[in-house]
Amino acid sequence: MREVQYLEEMPGLLEAARREAESSFGDGNIYLEKLIQGARHIEIQILADQRGNVIHLGERECSIQRRHQKLLEEAPSPFIGSDQELRERMGAVAVQAARSVDYINAGTIEFLVDEDKNYYFLEMNTRLQVEHPVTEAVTGIDIVKEQIRIAAGQPLLVKQEDISLTGWAMECRINAEDPYRGFLPSTGIITQSLLPAGPGVRVDAGVYSGYEISPYYDALIAKLIVHESTREKTIARMKRALEEYRIIGIRTNIPFHQNLLQDPDFLAGNFNTLFVQDVLPPLSASHQDKTLAEIAALAATLAAHEQSERAALEIQRSKRDLSNWKWVSRWEQTRE
Amino acid sequence: MTEIYFAEIEGVEYQIEILSDNRITINGEPYELNFQALRQHLSYSLLLEGKSYEINIYQDNGFWEVLLRGNQFSVQVEDERERRLRMAAGQASKEEGKLLLQAPMPGLVIDIQVKEGQEVDKGDVLVILESMKMQNELTAPRAGRITRIQTEMNEHVERKQVLLVLE
Repeated sequence: MREVQYLEEMPGLLEAARREAESSFGDGNIYLEKLIQGARHIEIQILADQRGNVIHLGERECSIQRRHQKLLEEAPSPFIGSDQELRERMGAVAVQAARSVDYINAGTIEFLVDEDKNYYFLEMNTRLQVEHPVTEAVTGIDIVKEQIRIAAGQPLLVKQEDISLTGWAMECRINAEDPYRGFLPSTGIITQSLLPAGPGVRVDAGVYSGYEISPYYDALIAKLIVHESTREKTIARMKRALEEYRIIGIRTNIPFHQNLLQDPDFLAGNFNTLFVQDVLPPLSASHQDKTLAEIAALAATLAAHEQSERAALEIQRSKRDLSNWKWVSRWEQTRE
Repeated sequence: MTEIYFAEIEGVEYQIEILSDNRITINGEPYELNFQALRQHLSYSLLLEGKSYEINIYQDNGFWEVLLRGNQFSVQVEDERERRLRMAAGQASKEEGKLLLQAPMPGLVIDIQVKEGQEVDKGDVLVILESMKMQNELTAPRAGRITRIQTEMNEHVERKQVLLVLE
């Protein structure tokens, strides 16, 4: 996908998009669409069974994106917030859209919403989405279980009037990308993966210690989802969980999320789909927290010092016991 | 026994003196601390000025990689002897201005947008490398002239493989 700001950019960007489409899908045909600027990406989760029941599970806010790839999603949307009338209206439109094509399954109707709360149909995702856990958290509904029931011809377990949103949920997509170097993909072996835990914390991960990140698939390796009573508390919990999540051996975008979660505009819910690209100050290795950098320098030095001490100890030991045969026989004699 | 180390993060240098197991100085400032390896030296616990830090430290590519409070730092550490050796080596061979553009990750070379002998500006796109279903533009880290191209279109390249030389 490419965005054309000026007519002169068209040939180059058209060419690049065609190339990407051709290599990924074997078809260089592409669509041209009007660009709605400063919009938010807000989507409605729906469920439709084989018996004509169609309901919606409220919205997800997915405006935090980079190159049209979502990075963080939350439910509810801070933009819709307490505007229950808008939520109901968008939900009703989504249900109507699904009905009009006799849709059966879980699905998502995506909208672009402008600053005046006008909403435009973007596309429908006819599948379970990466960000479905935030809706599961705030509605208490297991969407995958509903999908299986739907496929088996059973009715939905819930009606529209049973649906209410409880608290706030947020998901951070953990990608194997280096946020300090223009989000370059990071490959290699994950030597250790230590997961965060605790109340209201869920990790859906596709990787584990010893897993090799190859260059052949996209960069998404895990999803971290947290749930709390308010947006503020959800963010605090997410920051704690991100701090606990240690993925060692490759680079991940965890520092990007930490940077995002302390940004005043993000905290105020004041952002649109251009926020990451145009507004959020990019992470820079040379502008990191000075105190933390000093602690990092100290920690690395202490680790290096400890390693050289251990190496020195081993040299000493081998000086004392020049022959391994001697060493082994002595060890065996002193053994009980 | 006192040992002096130099730790560098993105051009900022810290001089760290280790006086004993729990006493150090950073740029001359004295601190007391407690530092303990956990989980076979994969993570460390640091107590410093009444605060507790759980830190992961591992070596990669000549750097000490430090994961600390959700941030990642790449630290270069050398002791006095290593520093003297590097200084001496640096003065012996002064090959300035030559820059090797290396593939930052394995991938497929989709396009080479420059020719040998071409002058480029900082930020110009040199090579397009496809990896993880994304096309990544590798740009010139500074202005200069392309003296050699060591890759070709549709070549599968490995991480660190030299793609071209900029002088």
